[in-house]
Amino acid sequence: MHTAHVFKEGVLDIFFSGTPAGWQSLLSFTILFLAWLAGFSSRLFAVIRFESIIHEFDPWFNYRSTHHLSTNGFYEFLNWFDERAWYPLGRIVGGTVYPGLMVTAGLIHYLLNLLNVTVHIRDVCVFLAPIFSGLTAISTFLLTRELWNQGAGLLAACFIAIVPGYISRSVAGSFDNEGIAIFALQFTYYLWVKSVKTGSVFWTIGCCLSYFYMVSAWGGYVFIINLIPLHVFVLLLMQRYSRRLYIAYSTFYIVGLVLSMQIPFVGFQPIRTSEHMAAAGVFALLQAYAFLQYLKDRLTKQEFQTLFFLGVSLAAGVVFLTVIYLTYTGETPNLPDSVCFRYAKIHIPIIASVSEHQPTTWVSFFFDLHILVCTFPAGLWFCIKNINDERVFVALYAISAVYFAGVMVRLMLTLTPVVCMLSAIAFSSVFEHYLGDDMKRENPPAEDSKEGLGPNIKSIVTMLMLMLLMMFAVHCTWVTSNAYSSPSVVLASYNHDGSRNILDDFREAYYWLRQNTDEHARVMSWWDYGYQIAGMANRTTLVDNNTWNNSHIALVGKAMSSNESAAYEIMKSLDVDYVLIIFGGVIGYSGDDINKFLWMVRIAEGEHPKDIRESDYFTPQGEFRVDKAGSPTLLNCLMYKMSYYRFGEMQVTLDFRTPPGFDRTRNAEIGNKDIRLKHLEEAFTSEHWLVRIYRVKKQENRQALDHKLRNVAAKQKYTSKKVCIA
Amino acid sequence: MAVCCRLLMLLTLLTLLCVQPGAAQKKKENMLVEKVEQMMDWSSRRSVIRMNGDKFRRFVKAPPRNYSVIVMFTALQPQRQCSVCRQANEEYQVLANSWRYSSAFSNKLFFTVVDYDEGADVFQQLNMNSAPTFMHFPAKGKPKRADTFDLQRIGFASEQLAKWIADRTDVQIRVFRPPNYSGTIALALLVSLVGGLLYLRRNNLEFIYNKTGWAMAALCVVFAMTSGQMWNHIRGPPYAHKNPQNGQVSYIHGSSQAQFVAESHIILLLNAAITMGMVLLNEAATSKGDVGKRRIICLVGLGLVVFFFSFLLSIFRSKYHGYPYSFLIK
Repeated sequence: MHTAHVFKEGVLDIFFSGTPAGWQSLLSFTILFLAWLAGFSSRLFAVIRFESIIHEFDPWFNYRSTHHLSTNGFYEFLNWFDERAWYPLGRIVGGTVYPGLMVTAGLIHYLLNLLNVTVHIRDVCVFLAPIFSGLTAISTFLLTRELWNQGAGLLAACFIAIVPGYISRSVAGSFDNEGIAIFALQFTYYLWVKSVKTGSVFWTIGCCLSYFYMVSAWGGYVFIINLIPLHVFVLLLMQRYSRRLYIAYSTFYIVGLVLSMQIPFVGFQPIRTSEHMAAAGVFALLQAYAFLQYLKDRLTKQEFQTLFFLGVSLAAGVVFLTVIYLTYTGETPNLPDSVCFRYAKIHIPIIASVSEHQPTTWVSFFFDLHILVCTFPAGLWFCIKNINDERVFVALYAISAVYFAGVMVRLMLTLTPVVCMLSAIAFSSVFEHYLGDDMKRENPPAEDSKEGLGPNIKSIVTMLMLMLLMMFAVHCTWVTSNAYSSPSVVLASYNHDGSRNILDDFREAYYWLRQNTDEHARVMSWWDYGYQIAGMANRTTLVDNNTWNNSHIALVGKAMSSNESAAYEIMKSLDVDYVLIIFGGVIGYSGDDINKFLWMVRIAEGEHPKDIRESDYFTPQGEFRVDKAGSPTLLNCLMYKMSYYRFGEMQVTLDFRTPPGFDRTRNAEIGNKDIRLKHLEEAFTSEHWLVRIYRVKKQENRQALDHKLRNVAAKQKYTSKKVCIA
Repeated sequence: MAVCCRLLMLLTLLTLLCVQPGAAQKKKENMLVEKVEQMMDWSSRRSVIRMNGDKFRRFVKAPPRNYSVIVMFTALQPQRQCSVCRQANEEYQVLANSWRYSSAFSNKLFFTVVDYDEGADVFQQLNMNSAPTFMHFPAKGKPKRADTFDLQRIGFASEQLAKWIADRTDVQIRVFRPPNYSGTIALALLVSLVGGLLYLRRNNLEFIYNKTGWAMAALCVVFAMTSGQMWNHIRGPPYAHKNPQNGQVSYIHGSSQAQFVAESHIILLLNAAITMGMVLLNEAATSKGDVGKRRIICLVGLGLVVFFFSFLLSIFRSKYHGYPYSFLIK
């Protein structure tokens, strides 16, 4: 389907010159519709292979909140205090989420039900991101059309519909903020470019509303509120100031500021934090610049120069004094966090433990963007060579986005749209020259025969370019199918003959919790599984993926890495009823808790350096081993015991050359096979042992005595003595 | 008389026996005071005390001590070619200076260094065969396993060293790094250079409006980022890998999770070549020159795009195992 799709784009340019406008718009509509369809259907791999299910971790929280919204109403959602998370602290959900995603899904659900289309809220959530990918394609088309021409716009729409860099965050079931935020981002930029071009308040207000939607949807709105001021600032430097610019930015800044402060989670941040200061500074600068322009018209040159000099020195003095004041009062504004995060990473293990916060290798760039990453610099080149107001914008967008994508893998998402636009510009300008002239025109230009490159060369170039695009489409489909379509809640393994085995251990275990435990039971697990336990098992959790309280997480980490009796004290103090762990040793699943265990130790050590030491969990040679050579602290900690309880007697593989208790993930025979639990008992182990749940025993009525009972006969002496004294 | 004599002797013996421990105690105390004074004297001159074999045995190993000593065993002589030692030494100096000039400075903790070329016997005595090594000699008793700093795992940043020392001796040291002015100076130099250039060419500021220059600069940033230079900057990989067995040098890392510096340079060039190919294709179609020349430009551009893209794809394929597609080059 993709192949046909890309070919159509090529055909389009043939019709460009000289055909009636009706044809053009019909073709544009068709192509955009096909782009939407292609984008939607290529995101459905997971739904077809598994079922309509919410993926991964964060989407489960979003789904749970959306469910809460649709059952209890909007105001109930805004004031929601979730007592089932972060036990015993709880979490204020309404004030700590970006509500745009939930409100969007809730609204669609409401409208569909109003029209008597009964859909479950889960299906709305699952298919929201694929539907929004079509809207993203359309807004990318609009933006690119403003920047270059319609042909480039259509190419860009087709690119963004299927590019893996965007699909990675918007497959069906990945119900996350980014899915709708990229649409909001592109649409805001389109309206901004439109308002700079026209200078009309109508478009600017549209831009503000779109910005408001973006603020309500994703924390990445900071990118917009810095990029637009940067655009204005660079235009001022280039002496491209105009009334249009003044109207657009002044309106945008004020209305956008007021609107963005309406989101409870954002609140007063736009006038407080340093990320938003650039926008305020540029606003002041623009006013000053406009004022000077006004004075320039009114005053003579001499007067103006004196005034200018005075004004500049006054401004410099004010800035200087402010800096000195701030330095002495010790309130130096901190640098933007997004740029400085890698310094934080050295100190805070929890940031380092998230793999999304890593820098990007060239392989990731190529994997997510394929041919686009090599060709988009050409588009950037064409834009800078033929510069105008809006192309300044796209150049700044490209440079800043490529920098952030280089620093952090997850910001590849903000780079992807601009790469699609610029690549489309590069390809479209090639196609324009090499495809267009092949057509038989009614009156060919006279110089064409003289200056043309000849039909052979042109067709070779066209064929090869189309082939590259075809390879891009094939690559995108392959990547989507292989890398980005796994729900990670349901695992699949493939046999030698290619047939698929579905491992549904996670849901099996969560469903067991839901059915067999008390409604208010508290489940302790590592934070990765918090949202899933809350979403699927509907039980109270201690920590979850909203990692706002490091010391609480460290406490759970300490319990996991202490020995059983020390852990029991912690679990008692936290009222834990069940402990849930993930164990991959039976099937060879590498993302299990033993492999994450060192992070638990590190985070626990950060808060409790006296009790937990990372070096205790290594062998003297500095290795992390689970077999006999492993450190005794590791072999007796709670996590190890829970993972390998009853594992020593199990013959894991069919091959009898391997001993019983052979861990397939770490390829080692475990070192401690005789595990006895005193304060815990096994409650449930799933089919492939992937999830193991333990019940924490209640305290006995009286502490059993470990030592021998005292001799009663000896006691009588003292009683008689007492009698004597009396 | 004889009895009396014997009694006297016994008495003297007794007194002697009684006095002896007292005198020894005093002598010990004197020695300790002397040692502490000596150490204080040295550390007032230099924050890290250099030791040879004799000094080490006398001040660090010999028992009457009431102070902890941190020793860095290292090999700083240039002929040893130990670059890690030099880096570790810098961090160690930072830490020792922070301690020396802190308000909490006392005679409870001293920083010393033993160089291999000055005290090889100490290395032998302690069975030490790698440098640098940090060890803590506590005021009482012998060093335990945890008194050797785990350099392999934690690294030798002075903050980590300070944490370890706080753990072993209960002495908290706040690391104070002398502010690094090199960045500021470089920036100031750059600004003044640019300013000077602008001033020199103030009559001809056309070059600021040169779009080609700006476009080049933008492309440089883009190429640097898309070839993973930021990853190199943060992770610091080796330039290339030399196989110790057969001496073969590989420039491409085998895994898709990592890369070498050389590899990222190759990718930068490939990306640049493909971009140039696209620009040349466009140039060939739009410029108004000789048709033959334009045809050549067009073919060169096409060749650049197709050839280098397939080359890039083949490198990607070799790194990303199981990737099925290739183009022209396997």
